[in-house]
Amino acid sequence: MPQLNTSTWFITIMAMLPALYLIMQLKLLNTTYHFSPSQKVLSMQTTNNSWQLKWTKIYLPHSQPQHS
Amino acid sequence: MNENLFTPFTTPTLLELPVVVPIILFPTLLLPTSKYLINNRLITIQQKLVQLILKQMMVIHNTKGQTWSLMLMSLIIFIASTNFLGLLPYSFTATTQLSMNLAMAIPLWAGTVITGLRFKTKSSLAHFLPQGTPTPLIPALVIIETISLFIQPMALAVRLTANITAGHLLMHLIGSATLALLTISLLATSLTLVLLVMLTILEMAVALIQAYVFTLLVSLYLHDNT
Repeated sequence: MPQLNTSTWFITIMAMLPALYLIMQLKLLNTTYHFSPSQKVLSMQTTNNSWQLKWTKIYLPHSQPQHS
Repeated sequence: MNENLFTPFTTPTLLELPVVVPIILFPTLLLPTSKYLINNRLITIQQKLVQLILKQMMVIHNTKGQTWSLMLMSLIIFIASTNFLGLLPYSFTATTQLSMNLAMAIPLWAGTVITGLRFKTKSSLAHFLPQGTPTPLIPALVIIETISLFIQPMALAVRLTANITAGHLLMHLIGSATLALLTISLLATSLTLVLLVMLTILEMAVALIQAYVFTLLVSLYLHDNT
């Protein structure tokens, strides 16, 4: 049976090792799986500050650009 | 007769050069990679298939076992692509080589066993003795379990080799029988041709299944040991 001819075993194994462990794994590593883009949820700031008794328009997002 | 039957399984050399090296590396050429977000159809289909197989195979493992997912994915893709390409006429299937299958099976199996022995020593050694065995049977059962453990990589390699080799041999024999019957009786030829077609379909399934079984068993040994 020619599969038992051990003279070729070395070259076969040596060819398989980079094919499997190097090239296949690199190909699989270079696949990118991205999430489909979804809308970012902009939640309005709620009045959970106990010292603020009234909601005023200063709590609207983007209405008060943060200059510091 | 014996020599002619097994010559498709000798490692191919072209003018004394080992052309088996590019043949083993060839299936990797059929899997293009791309860094784009939106790819062409071929790459998208391949990536979707890989993702499907990944989810199917790795969901049974815990976090530690899932570190092996790259290895198992590359294993199943490699074996499946090599087996499928071997169904083409006059091609050489590298998975018919016992050398390559042993070199795949033994390190992977040894990796799972050593992982089990390092991290869960007591529980992996406990696999040697099934629960609820009567006391006089314990020595014999430990010996039997040890033998069955050490036979696992041999069985993995020989199973893959034998299945693919036998399938190829059968297709070769039935194909030449079909040709030989052509001059004798047309009915027998058509029956044999139908047999050949069904066998080819079976071989396609076997190509896939063998890859799956190999990887599944490695992952099972992994599951036992993580």
